[in-house]
Amino acid sequence: MSKKLFFLLSLVVLTAMLLASCGGGGEADCAQDDVFCVGLVTDVGEVDDKSFNQSAWEGVQQAEKDLGAVVNYVETKDAKDYAANIALFADKKYDVIVTVGFLMADATIEAAGKNPNIQFIGVDQWNDGSVANVTGLLFPEDKAGFLAGALAAMMSKTGTVAAVLGTDLVPPVVAFKEGYEAGAKYINPGINLISTYHPGGADVAFTDPEWGATTAKQAIDNGADVVFGAGGKTGNGAIIEVASHAGLLCIGVDSDQWETVPEAHPCLISSAMKLITPGVFDLVKLAKEGSKPAGLYFGATGLASFHDFESKVPQEVKDKLAEIDAGLQDGSVSTGYAP
Amino acid sequence: MSTGSVDPAVSKRSKGFLIKIWHAINIPLAAVVLALLIGAIILLVSGANPIQAYVALFRGAFGSMTALGRTLEKATPLVFSGLAVAFAFKAGLFNIGAQGQLLFGAMIAAAIGFGIDGLPSIIHVPLALLGGALAGALYGAIPGALKVYTGAHEVITTIMLNYIAINITDYLASGPLKDTSSGNVLARTPEIMASAKIPSIANIPLGFVLAILMSILIWWILSRTTLGFDIRTVGLNPNAARYAGIKVAFTIILTMVLSGALAGMGGAVETQGVVGRFQPGFNIGLGFDGITIALLGKTSPLGVIPAAILIGAMKAGASQMQFDAGVAKEIVDVIQALMLFFVAADVIVRKVFRIRAAGEEEKITLSTGWGQQ
Repeated sequence: MSKKLFFLLSLVVLTAMLLASCGGGGEADCAQDDVFCVGLVTDVGEVDDKSFNQSAWEGVQQAEKDLGAVVNYVETKDAKDYAANIALFADKKYDVIVTVGFLMADATIEAAGKNPNIQFIGVDQWNDGSVANVTGLLFPEDKAGFLAGALAAMMSKTGTVAAVLGTDLVPPVVAFKEGYEAGAKYINPGINLISTYHPGGADVAFTDPEWGATTAKQAIDNGADVVFGAGGKTGNGAIIEVASHAGLLCIGVDSDQWETVPEAHPCLISSAMKLITPGVFDLVKLAKEGSKPAGLYFGATGLASFHDFESKVPQEVKDKLAEIDAGLQDGSVSTGYAP
Repeated sequence: MSTGSVDPAVSKRSKGFLIKIWHAINIPLAAVVLALLIGAIILLVSGANPIQAYVALFRGAFGSMTALGRTLEKATPLVFSGLAVAFAFKAGLFNIGAQGQLLFGAMIAAAIGFGIDGLPSIIHVPLALLGGALAGALYGAIPGALKVYTGAHEVITTIMLNYIAINITDYLASGPLKDTSSGNVLARTPEIMASAKIPSIANIPLGFVLAILMSILIWWILSRTTLGFDIRTVGLNPNAARYAGIKVAFTIILTMVLSGALAGMGGAVETQGVVGRFQPGFNIGLGFDGITIALLGKTSPLGVIPAAILIGAMKAGASQMQFDAGVAKEIVDVIQALMLFFVAADVIVRKVFRIRAAGEEEKITLSTGWGQQ
């Protein structure tokens, strides 16, 4: 009987495979001038991480829609594979390769040197501009963090606010944290801050929602009533934990997490956004037009809308945030963060 | 191995040898086939084309010399960690701590690699390798000694020691041994000297050659030396071993030391051959994968080689598979887990493929590994 079972199983699989293989589609030839191809390599993380990688991928998808680009992505599972994953696109002569994440900076610059005809966009990657076909897309995270901190301090009743963060090995996370703390102190110099970095390496610090939840719980036990979650899935874990405590507030990061983490709706007043999607799209568009700048390109940051909390955030808080935002723009308010 | 089952009438040596090989590989082979079949079903259900996916996986792993080199590069540390786990298994010890031992090996090899300048390669490479092996050996000695002198189970102690190793090496890489060159903000050590690097020749990483040699050495120790006999006897029955005059305590500690040395050397090879420095996160999982490799290789020192190449190939080919077929890379993890599942629960495989039960001796070896004593 088992033999029959196995035979049957194989038969089903084989038939299905044959059927499936009939429907193979043609592959676009990126080497041709009129085919515009954009590839994306994620950092250790997935394109549906509801945060960083996803925002970048949406920027590429917008290029597919608006610019008619052929798009594809590869997710990195092992930090040693950065170069090999970039090479998958380079070998197919993609026109633009987007690499997401600070840790990929070295691999991106190296690949750009080897492929002078391909335009590279490094999200969150600093470079000195010496390789002409690399553009680092950076964001003033400290400003977004500052607004989040000010909002947290104004909304806190206990006078204690917390931040659950990815690792301090990654500078943008540090910028968020420093900005957040400075913003909170700007409103209330005596505020009690509980900021915790994930203790693990950069490979695990953004994919550890359990740790995020536990850490958020600890902060709540210590009196925090507003928690800022900044660190991919780790931060998501933190804000989802906060959502299970009635009356507490949380602030998301990178993208408008109202859209991406519905579980956090009960507490999510806003998100400290890096406008990655438009930043990536703008650079891809510039690359297509042949006018992508070398060196660095600064995207925009800001707070997401309050959504359901629109009516619960007092008007004077909104006015103050607008005032701070204007101050940050014209330089009269400083976050004090120097990278 | 089941030697007793061969009919003396047909016991031509070559035929007996082939039967032995077949008995050694039939279950893992069947498990791989079954795992790939189930993987194909999952791929179909998720809307992908399994043939396209598997072809891409194969192409990414063996399709060119570069791909083959990457497969072997990925397999190299797995041979070492698989050997470490398999070796400890023989003495009835379940070394979950290969990860920690490997991390210290990688770190010490990096320290020797960047800290000493002006040595010729012929001295610098083995020095860093031995340093890594020694670090792993010392770290492996701890759970061995704890087991012998306090009765603490090695599964528990090695798991805990892994966390200690992860955090100490993280601290070293972001503190005292951090790369202070301008522009570096990452937690990592400086790059090792060129003289400490293990090169590849024609895309074949020399570290892989070393891994093969170590496998043969361990096979020889286990099957041809008194020490190997002692280790296996302790693994089969510690009480009988003690009665027979074998120093059980000494054997257990020595086994853990050698197991740790193998894992540590794996870390050193990874540092010297692939990463070029110590960077937290770059070695994650290599030690844990050793458990998979050891089981897939049926805890045989030679069996870990094909097992490591198989898993290495899947790791190397996964990106190509996602690129070509748009399949989430997690499918590779699922297939790996299924393989391990079928090797561990071999009754299922035997039922499906109608494979006769193996000899008694073989069964015992595996089962005592799981925490008797």
